[in-house]
Amino acid sequence: MTKINENEDAHEFRSEAVSLWRITFGPLIWAVHFAASYAATALICAKGGAVEGLRLGIGIGTGVALVAIAWLGWQAWRQWDLLCDRDWENDQGTGEDRHQFLGHAAFLLAVVSFIGVSYVALPALLIGTCR
Amino acid sequence: MTRPAPLPVAEGPYPPTEEMLSEPVSSEDQDRGKAELRAAWKTPQGWRYISAVNNTEVGVWYSLTAFGFMLLAGLLALAMRVQLAFPDMTFLDADRFNQFFTMHGSAMMFLFAVPMFEAISILLLPAFLGARDMPFPRLSAYGYWCFLIGGCFVMGSLLFDAGPKAGWFMYPPLATEEEGIGPDIWLLGLSFIEVASIAAAVELIVGALKCRPPGMRVNIMPLYAWYVMVVGGMILFAFPPLIAGDFLFELQRSFDWPFFDPERGGDPILWQHLFWIFGHPEVYIVFLPSIAIAAMIVPTVARRPIVGYSWIVLSAVGTGFLSFGLWVHHMFTTGLPQISLGFFSAASEAVVIPTGIQLFAFVATLMVGRVRMSLPMLWIAGALAIFVAGGLTGVMLAIVPFNWQAHDTYFIVAHLHYTLFGGMVFPVIAGVYYFYPFIAKKLLSERLGRWAFWLIFTGFNVTFLPMHLTGLMGMPRRIFTYPESSGWGTLNLISTIGAFVVAAGFAVFLYDLLRPKSRQGQIPRNPWDAGTLEFSHDVPEEAWGVRSVPYVTSRYPLWDQPKLVERMDAGRYYLTDSPDHQRETIVTSVIDAKPIYVQRVTGPAWITIWAAIFTGGAFIFPTFHIYKPAIVCGAFAIVCVLYWLWTSTARPPKDEMREAGLGLRLPTYMSGPDSVGWWGMWITMLGDATAFASIVFGFFFYWTARPDFPPADADHAIGVWVAAAALLGVLAWAATVLAREVNRRGNVMLARLALVLAPLSAAAAAGAAWLAVRDLDPVSHVYPAILWALMVWLVVHLCAGIVMQCYCLAGSLFGKVTPRHDADLRNVTLYWHFVALKVLVTAAVLGLVPGWLP
Repeated sequence: MTKINENEDAHEFRSEAVSLWRITFGPLIWAVHFAASYAATALICAKGGAVEGLRLGIGIGTGVALVAIAWLGWQAWRQWDLLCDRDWENDQGTGEDRHQFLGHAAFLLAVVSFIGVSYVALPALLIGTCR
Repeated sequence: MTRPAPLPVAEGPYPPTEEMLSEPVSSEDQDRGKAELRAAWKTPQGWRYISAVNNTEVGVWYSLTAFGFMLLAGLLALAMRVQLAFPDMTFLDADRFNQFFTMHGSAMMFLFAVPMFEAISILLLPAFLGARDMPFPRLSAYGYWCFLIGGCFVMGSLLFDAGPKAGWFMYPPLATEEEGIGPDIWLLGLSFIEVASIAAAVELIVGALKCRPPGMRVNIMPLYAWYVMVVGGMILFAFPPLIAGDFLFELQRSFDWPFFDPERGGDPILWQHLFWIFGHPEVYIVFLPSIAIAAMIVPTVARRPIVGYSWIVLSAVGTGFLSFGLWVHHMFTTGLPQISLGFFSAASEAVVIPTGIQLFAFVATLMVGRVRMSLPMLWIAGALAIFVAGGLTGVMLAIVPFNWQAHDTYFIVAHLHYTLFGGMVFPVIAGVYYFYPFIAKKLLSERLGRWAFWLIFTGFNVTFLPMHLTGLMGMPRRIFTYPESSGWGTLNLISTIGAFVVAAGFAVFLYDLLRPKSRQGQIPRNPWDAGTLEFSHDVPEEAWGVRSVPYVTSRYPLWDQPKLVERMDAGRYYLTDSPDHQRETIVTSVIDAKPIYVQRVTGPAWITIWAAIFTGGAFIFPTFHIYKPAIVCGAFAIVCVLYWLWTSTARPPKDEMREAGLGLRLPTYMSGPDSVGWWGMWITMLGDATAFASIVFGFFFYWTARPDFPPADADHAIGVWVAAAALLGVLAWAATVLAREVNRRGNVMLARLALVLAPLSAAAAAGAAWLAVRDLDPVSHVYPAILWALMVWLVVHLCAGIVMQCYCLAGSLFGKVTPRHDADLRNVTLYWHFVALKVLVTAAVLGLVPGWLP
């Protein structure tokens, strides 16, 4: 019989303290990238400025965002640990399944965020002017 | 001075072993527990019934009220369809037609779709989670009464021919110039309801995070709870921009501050931005919780766990984020730069991915399951068919050139009704059929249900499918009639006939819902063989929610934990009694749902109704430009809320620990991040900070959009006073933090001293902020107007902060706040962290930014 205040997976628990936030880090990067691209475009197009510089800036920002999301995705993939136990569902009420589930969700969100960032960068790649 | 002992924490065995769970409970103990719980949760009888706050009562009132407003808004639509049936009809005149379409859209969105989500969630979420009630029942009741008053006020304007008529999005300059009080009714009435929506969102998020039963970790909680969390979060970030917009808009309507007047430096496009930053997430706010109902029904119908639980979590969270990158696709024709349009077009296409994934997950579940077709599933099937059609036209509309063609035509009307019927109306009706046995302990009629389905489904398609064509033929939205030569007559007549078929379907549904069902007898407890906790409900009804709060180890506990219901009934789990006849529920940790403490929840009260009436007065009187009674009402509303908080929340308990069952002893008081009150404050302040950010966004928007912002010869805020406001505001914050820290260490006198200093300093900060802009004329140009708006916003928050500091001081003097029981003080400090941030940002925008702008 375990006592409620003696935590056998105390170490693991601490590492999970921010996990519910962590699954949103991928979409958060998307949001920051989106807002920054939109704000920079609005500024440059309204105040006049080099559209080429803007496109380059968005390109660099996109590269940084994609690398960051890819890194998060890789971390989440390791946390999901699919290849070791082949567990797709993680539907048990255990600390391990909760840990891997959060990895799985964060991984999938990283994939969607990666696609989202790539999509949002396309207009800057394809359209050369503000008008 | 000795440091006071810390609050006790949970102790005893956890998780419970199989042995402990199979330990029988004596029948005397069972009977005693039942009697105590019945006494604690007794629903008020007779006319006192309306003072009830229990989620099962408030949820039902809320749903029925929202449904009533939906029927009214539907009647408006029928009247419009009659007017449009033939060319040159004179059934409605142009003015009334304008009022009707404005109220149809506004009511469907603000009085039906969003409140319905909140109503259903308040009603069902505790049951999904095996909780006794929501964490803040009186807040739900207060929200409901605000909603009822505000809704009746806004809808009632039609009876006096005084309704708003500028369209549900109230675009300036049309709406700012409109004669009469219509726009004021819209702005103030709906702001009032938006406040209620945010209150409900706070409650639902805290409920899903903190009120899960022991053992229900995040990976096994019902999908509905995931959706509630996502949607609650979206409300917090989507509604505040609209509230900020309403604030600016009403300042222009009432005091002629020119936020949207281009003559004096304003810009109507800012309203469009603020409205659609709210408006587009809004459609996902109504879509996601409805599709969440499908996520509960589909596994039951397929008789197997959902396929791709993680994928659905992904799609809920992903849609929640991406939906904030779509708002400009309502503004493609406003002349924004092409690249900007491209961003929003791209994001609009990207959101299809998570949206599609959840539909595929449902289809996959149905394919691998052993489907037993039932009435709820029929409605879900109809929903999927209609929603997919609406989604596809959405993909078309996300493409800029096509959008330019279809903008403001009936093609849009067709698209939005396909998404809203498929994404909201059908799943919600499916939910009504599915959850009716839980809600009313009766079943709805299978035969009438099929009739209603086929009438609504057929009628819907007959109405809206032709509208795609009417739109492509060029018929614009919001026209009250059209000439015969346009050639739109036949299609419009078909649409009108369809609308009446839909209405017939709703009549059948309404009859089935409300007809007496006393001859039906007692229904089975779990009529659909569902696997989730809500169907462990008591038949006949008991007001206590659950007999005992279970220990859950599976996503579908009724399927996977065979003895669960029997053990819940026998009181073998947690909180099986209530010795003090107090309403209580168990609060657990966010990730792993480990029991933390027993939260006392509030019971029936009249004060919530009074608070709502006075809040209503504070919003409704200004509509008629009557301000003194409004201020009095506002003051009374604050007094009511303070009274309710003082008498029934966070009071030091009589016993510090409570036997919670299965040998577990739990504390009865918590302070800081473990307590639900702290989470409520934190989440509210996120929303509040978003509203503030929207006003700051307005400042920078004017700067990018207008060459004359700030005007070259403009007077600026007075630097000395701005600096004084910043310093004094930070001092007030520091004093509050100091009070919390020294109070915790046992130095009560110093804490009280800090709590005297803090409000004085905050009041001085408010005065300095006012002095900084006093000499500027907000009517002359948008630059002084936005500085004034920022000042007003800051001063209001400082004043609220002063009230809170005085509340804590009084608490300390009268023994409500002690060194150990400092929940109030910690929540107020959290509030002040946000105020300090606002002080600094406001001071920077008032004092520094104008000098930096090129």
